[in-house]
Amino acid sequence: MVDTMLERVTRLSEYEWEVPAGTVPGMRVPGRFFLSDSLYKSLESGAVQQLANVATLPGIIRYSMGMPDIHWGYGFPIGGVAAFERDTGVISPGGVGFDINCGVRLLSTPLTTGDLDHRRELIETLYNAVPTGVGAKGPLKLSIGDLEDMMAKGAAWPVNQGYGLQADLEHCEERGCMVQADCQAVSAKAKQRGMPQSGTLGAGNHFLEIQVVKEIYDPDATKAYGIHPGQICVMIHCGSRGLGHQTCTDHLKVLEGATKRYNILLPDRQLACAPLSSPEGTAYFGAMAASANYAWANRQMIMHTTRTVFEKMYGIDYESMHLVYDVAHNVAKMEEHSYEGKRIAVCVHRKGATRAFGPGSPDLPSGYAKTGQPVIIPGSMGASSYLLRGTTTAMERTFGSTCHGAGRILSRSAAKKTINGAKVKTSLSREGIIVRAPNDSAIAEEAPGAYKPSAEVVRIVDALGISNLVARLEPLGVIKG
Amino acid sequence: MSYEELDHTADIRLRVRSPSPDSLFAETALAMMKIVYGESRPGEVRRTIELSAGNTENLLLDFLSEVLFLSEVEYIVFSSATVHIMGNSLRALVTGEPFDPERHRGGTEIKGISYSGLRIVKEDEGYVLDILFDV
Repeated sequence: MVDTMLERVTRLSEYEWEVPAGTVPGMRVPGRFFLSDSLYKSLESGAVQQLANVATLPGIIRYSMGMPDIHWGYGFPIGGVAAFERDTGVISPGGVGFDINCGVRLLSTPLTTGDLDHRRELIETLYNAVPTGVGAKGPLKLSIGDLEDMMAKGAAWPVNQGYGLQADLEHCEERGCMVQADCQAVSAKAKQRGMPQSGTLGAGNHFLEIQVVKEIYDPDATKAYGIHPGQICVMIHCGSRGLGHQTCTDHLKVLEGATKRYNILLPDRQLACAPLSSPEGTAYFGAMAASANYAWANRQMIMHTTRTVFEKMYGIDYESMHLVYDVAHNVAKMEEHSYEGKRIAVCVHRKGATRAFGPGSPDLPSGYAKTGQPVIIPGSMGASSYLLRGTTTAMERTFGSTCHGAGRILSRSAAKKTINGAKVKTSLSREGIIVRAPNDSAIAEEAPGAYKPSAEVVRIVDALGISNLVARLEPLGVIKG
Repeated sequence: MSYEELDHTADIRLRVRSPSPDSLFAETALAMMKIVYGESRPGEVRRTIELSAGNTENLLLDFLSEVLFLSEVEYIVFSSATVHIMGNSLRALVTGEPFDPERHRGGTEIKGISYSGLRIVKEDEGYVLDILFDV
């Protein structure tokens, strides 16, 4: 069955493709995805199957969508976006993933390339200051009360403790806190995992990268975002750690039972779901929101550590380093969107996709209201990252969503077999990019050759208008988990 | 240990073969430890796991999630597992050594164990499992 998936795909325009209803039995809407000819070549039938599977879920409206970084995941494809009508729709952990609110933030500094001496020492200091990799413990000693407070308040918790600035909160999606958080819906096990890990980067594709602003595409937007050529920035990519992973595991089990109870037929058990209004759906949403808040607090803690390192090494003020924005990549949100001429409440699932709200949207800080929401697209290790802005087109076409990254083309095992981590490190070093990781195989798995070219992914979203290019950033040093 | 890595773009998908469900469960848990920590040595730290679930697949997922949980919160790298399945329940003894950052940072974190593509099949020579780990 999987092999026939690609044959069912039809092309609608240069960048838009359709998976017709009927490709998988029970599809309620068609699937739509956005790719260029060159990226289409690496599309897996597994990703198309998953896109079609999502279209079978109750209450889905318009399309099951795939952004240009679409690839084969579990449950939803990675790069998957789907909106479910509030009263008839469902919520599914398969549309969020295990790493709830895995996301990325961009910190700007007053430094430019010329100021960044002792770069190797900077990378080494950051590597030692930010706990990374398997088994790492964070800098905070949290009580259960602290943890629950953190899950309720999100990024505001560390800021209130002195680990940040009030202005940081304005520059986070949801102001760094989903108000629907329900700490009681988070299990004791999840809390136990979360307690020692706040402020840790994690492993895999998570990273902290020193970058330089290399090219400006939209001068007005960069002005609004406080970005200029040659500026040194820091990009932080991580999520909700063991707390989020356990929350997904726990609720997946509950929702599997609920799926049967509500007579929902699923083509993939990982799509286990429950009506948004059901007790099971509400509990998952509350626990997911609490985990998302923990992730925002986590990125805030790591950013605080980064600021203190820069402050000490370069003699710059903590307050002179501004959070440009923080976006979630794996989350489900209650939002209002236009559909068939009406404003309706929907639950938008973004699994490896970024919110890209256009100018004038609610939830944008006043300074960004005219420009639209900053969208941060990390490249793979050693590749370009991009800053974009959300658009009205995204609001109209993709429920205010765009891509989240480059998207893998090579499996981790294939990458380890074909790419030599030590050589990648040497070649990146020759290009002036310093990489610090616990081991070389972590470098091979995440090497640029294992990913789609980020330039092509952002070119497509820009051409489609679901977000527009603002600036390109190039890496100078990477810390990997 | 008899397992191979199957192709998957984003995550880690394994095929594990073993003569019995008991050994299949044990070998999968150890394969998982190897993904997270790389190589490890036998150790004296012991934990017992007792579980019940609605069916074999859920029993396996619950067991693996529990191994992952214990390993993470108690900082133990398990290198040996003995599993006894009785209907839809199991009792397992897992042993290993304390986590050592110098030796056990060779792997990658497993964020979760997916239901997607989960398959346990009985063949002539024993049991075959396909399983996907989100990393």
